Amino acid sequence: MVFSIAYHYLRDRSAAEEVAQDVFLQLHRSFDDFKPGPDRDAHLVHWLRKVASHRSIDATRKRRTQPATGLGVALDDAPPPSVPAESKDFLLQQRLETLIGSLPEKPRMVMVLRYQEDLMPEEIASLLDMPVRTVKSHLQRSLAMLREKIDRSMGEIR
Amino acid sequence: MKRILPVVLLLGLPLAAQEIKMPPGLDKLAAKASEVVDVNLDGALLQLASKFLSDKDADEAHVKQLVGGLKGIFVKSFEFDEANQYSQADIEEFRAQFRPPAWSRIVSARSKKNGENSEILLKTDNNQISGLVVIVTEPKELTIVNIIGNIRPEDLRDLGGKMGIPKIDVGGAVKQSDKKNNDKKEDEK
Amino acid sequence: MMDDFEKQIQQALQRKDPSPFFEARVLATVRRDAQARRARWRMWWASAVAASLLIVTGSAWQYQKIEHERIAGEQAKARLELALKITSVKLQKISHKVEQIEN
Repeated sequence: MVFSIAYHYLRDRSAAEEVAQDVFLQLHRSFDDFKPGPDRDAHLVHWLRKVASHRSIDATRKRRTQPATGLGVALDDAPPPSVPAESKDFLLQQRLETLIGSLPEKPRMVMVLRYQEDLMPEEIASLLDMPVRTVKSHLQRSLAMLREKIDRSMGEIR
Repeated sequence: MKRILPVVLLLGLPLAAQEIKMPPGLDKLAAKASEVVDVNLDGALLQLASKFLSDKDADEAHVKQLVGGLKGIFVKSFEFDEANQYSQADIEEFRAQFRPPAWSRIVSARSKKNGENSEILLKTDNNQISGLVVIVTEPKELTIVNIIGNIRPEDLRDLGGKMGIPKIDVGGAVKQSDKKNNDKKEDEK
Repeated sequence: MMDDFEKQIQQALQRKDPSPFFEARVLATVRRDAQARRARWRMWWASAVAASLLIVTGSAWQYQKIEHERIAGEQAKARLELALKITSVKLQKISHKVEQIEN
């Protein structure tokens, strides 16, 4: 979950592992703050999503001030070989991943939390410390943009 | 040590990474080389160096984390004015220390055009990397890197562009230097 | 209810797993961190004791020792940076070569 949030946000496996490692290290340091009880697991998951989201956004900001380190697509970021390349769905999903990765910071994280983690706008608002109406607005605009770009680049998909 | 070594050999176990030996031929190359780099950082020196890496500087903090668990970094690099100053037999003798199952060669790239051979070897214990060796042989240059501990080659590769480490692009050109290099150049003026 | 397009987005953003050694690396980092925190506490305590002794004895010898360690540390750091520079440059070149071969 933690790695995946960072990966879909950063689109960089190595950077995502670094973020995930930082999150788990922080968890280790703060673990005693989570009081035992029936709600502890839920609190932990909420905390992990929150820290992963914020650290991922921070990582993007840090990368903007540093030279790009990409040496082209690393082999482990390549699509899994078992999916046929000519599959329309596969191409669409690849395109969607790329387009979502190009969204601005906050809308991008909103999309990742909504569609990867299946969270409702209220939960997303709590994680990202933003008003619910802002989350809904980001979702609406991002979806509209994605539909338009997909329609343009791939023809009728839906 | 003299009594232990034959036992290790009888058991057929590969030598521990820190016992990697430089064949006599390679050890004497410094006398023939025009440029020599010989860095030997054991666990204690690595810890000492780490203490002087700043937590506040993002790059230094990253390097600190990278080298934190390492037990040693050893680099030998020789540059020669003329080609063929070292023997391939010496390289083979050195390479022979890294045998399966403990060691695996994950990259082997050869170029007939410029006579350059590059290898990356990894040692694993219980599915965890415990050693890394890089061997690069060129007609006028020989580089051997031996790192003991858990580190991924891509983590070292991706240091390019940070902390004064050049970033090499696909064509072999050096990309922009980082802030640290620029600051240093300003100080030198 | 999600429409088909949103379901495609869900597919595109399916959870991905980290690399095989990730868990081991995290555990190693956590262990190192715990050890470092214990060592920092011990070092803090040792420094506090040393500082008290320095005040009590007024020994310039101890200051020299700290200064020697600082010089040795800076030298070790410089050697580390050199080692990492050589290694990173070689690995970058090897990585490019592999990409060229595979393309």
